[in-house]
Amino acid sequence: MAKKITVALAGNPNSGKTTIFNNLTGARQHVGNWPGVTVEKKEGNLKHDGYEINVVDLPGTYSLTAYSLDEVIARNFVVEERPDVVVDIVDASNLERNLYLTTQFMELGVKLVIALNMSDLAEARGQKIDTKKLSEFLGAPVVPTVGHKNKGTDELIKAIVDMADEKLNMNRVTAEYGEEIEEEIRKIEELIQRDTGLMQRYPSRWLALKLLEGDEEVAKKVTGEEI
Amino acid sequence: MERREILDQVRRSSEHLKGIFGGDIETIISEQRYGFISGICKQVVTRPMEERLTTSDKIDRVVINRVLGIPIFLFFMWLMFKFTFTVSETPMGWVEAGQEWLGDTVGGLFPDGSKLKSLIVEGVIGGLGSVIIFVPLIFILFFCIAILEDSGYMARAAFVMDRFMYKIGLHGRSFIPMILGFGCNIAGIMACRTIEQKRDRFTTILVNPFMSCGARLPVYALLIGAFFPEKGGTVLYSIYILGIVMAIIMAKIFRKYLFPGPPSPFVMELPPYRMPTIKGVIIHMWERGVLYLKKAGTIIFAGCVLVWFLSNFPWSPGYSKDYDVLKQKAESDFASGLVTKDTMDETIINLENEQAREKMQRSYMGSLGRIIEPVVKPLGFDWKIGVGLAGGFIAKEIVVGTLGTLYAVGEADEESVPLRERIQNDTWPDGKKIFTPLTAFALMVFALLYIPCVASIAVIYRETNSWKWPLFAAGYTTALAWVVSFMVYQGGKLIGLE
Repeated sequence: MAKKITVALAGNPNSGKTTIFNNLTGARQHVGNWPGVTVEKKEGNLKHDGYEINVVDLPGTYSLTAYSLDEVIARNFVVEERPDVVVDIVDASNLERNLYLTTQFMELGVKLVIALNMSDLAEARGQKIDTKKLSEFLGAPVVPTVGHKNKGTDELIKAIVDMADEKLNMNRVTAEYGEEIEEEIRKIEELIQRDTGLMQRYPSRWLALKLLEGDEEVAKKVTGEEI
Repeated sequence: MERREILDQVRRSSEHLKGIFGGDIETIISEQRYGFISGICKQVVTRPMEERLTTSDKIDRVVINRVLGIPIFLFFMWLMFKFTFTVSETPMGWVEAGQEWLGDTVGGLFPDGSKLKSLIVEGVIGGLGSVIIFVPLIFILFFCIAILEDSGYMARAAFVMDRFMYKIGLHGRSFIPMILGFGCNIAGIMACRTIEQKRDRFTTILVNPFMSCGARLPVYALLIGAFFPEKGGTVLYSIYILGIVMAIIMAKIFRKYLFPGPPSPFVMELPPYRMPTIKGVIIHMWERGVLYLKKAGTIIFAGCVLVWFLSNFPWSPGYSKDYDVLKQKAESDFASGLVTKDTMDETIINLENEQAREKMQRSYMGSLGRIIEPVVKPLGFDWKIGVGLAGGFIAKEIVVGTLGTLYAVGEADEESVPLRERIQNDTWPDGKKIFTPLTAFALMVFALLYIPCVASIAVIYRETNSWKWPLFAAGYTTALAWVVSFMVYQGGKLIGLE
């Protein structure tokens, strides 16, 4: 029996996500809809080393707030369906902006693999990115890719499998919000941790942060009125 | 029970943090994240020194400068309208001349008094033609907008206005749909879809119709051509700016009373500046311009035929006097030497004009006009303007198309006269001119602000998923249009602008 891995493919719009998706899955794709909405959902399969990997293409987003349907779809999939690995496609030539989404996945505490895409473009501009250091800061393996030349695809698949198998020893890192905010996060987290129902479903730090940010969708989940 | 405790703690924490930071927590958290990221980037990315500031960055230092940004935006807008108006004058003259020729030629092919001649000359050439005249103007304006968009400036304009709007408590992202609204409000309203919270989205949808769309341009162009030929660009500019100002004021009011709550923060992308390519600009201009032509060929054409029908039927109403007998009398008076030929001709022309006017007054359109006139009279508008505005609900261009048809029907002259000249000379029954620069301006203000076209209303319904908001939008815009036009007209009269 092949081991099954579910991978969610995330990234900003225009980060080259579709190309990477095609590189990973080739022609083994099918298109459906996300439940309840008319947003397209693409899935694809690949086999590697006795693993059967199912890749789900999330809508391209800059963040994971409740402000747009795309972002809600992406985040609900990651929170509710719990894919084994999230691959975050990061446009190397636009690193700062792309990493914003990455910080959101870090907060969700998911197993994350970073595909540092279009690294050729960044290099052509004279930018050098220290991938090893970046990997340490983000607590996730960083694989340089060049989507349109199909470079880095095999390395990416390997990182996915290793991450799913917990062969990689990564530190858990999240952004720090400064003394005052961290103090409040701790207070809220403490209360959340007493609630086993919530603890089973959501990472406590993420939940605390979202509540503090005033995310109405998350607040509804806590009070139990699902929408 | 425990879950309520969590939310209570969140509330307490929020209050506490708000006290410390004096601002929105979401913003502070996202700033912290960016700080975290920027920290990472500084450590992992090495850039060659000289590439720190790109050309785009250098331009942006001036263009999106806190102080200079808005004046620069206003200046570009002014330049755009000035350019559009000056350059389009000549090609519009050609189209107008072509139309006059066409009207006279086609008119000569049909016997006088036939319904078909009336339909073609008055309904199609008079009505639709008065809308087609503005095609060069529309294309040139879209050409300018395409240059601003393709060069990357529009994103800066949005950014600058955005910051301004955020400052007065509105959501930032609203300005992009607003800019799109300059082309067509439907596009603008639909652009509100992908983004943000309900309160921000609904506010932006409701004020989007104040962004003066391309369909309203013929109305301005007609009136400006007739009454402000020297200051065309500036007057047009003032109308567009008035739209923006009204949108901001109303948005502020809606945000306070209908959809209260803090604005949500967001990151806006500024693409690098690019030299627009001729091909790209032409394609963008064409895409939008063709929509205007298509609309002219379909809905506006249908609207003009409808207006023609309403203003010509009943075909032979009961007249107050027997014009044929009176005309024959004039002829027999000449034959028996009682009057000169000139006097006879003048009498006959006066009789024909009088008959044409009476016919129109007795038409369905005339009846409709009499219902509308009391409502628009305080704004200085007569019944013809009233029905024109009513027709504008189908599509704003129809305001001009209706006037074109009504004036073509109401004048019995043989030669085609441009609509511009006809409205310049039209009078009230007491002999005073109907159109003065003041009424023309009041009419432009009204056309800018009043009820969105039926397609926009339908889109508002679809995007808000309720009839409440489209009805509200229709009502408040029209009420606002009436009030502002009233203030312009009556205020102008008070200070002696009449």
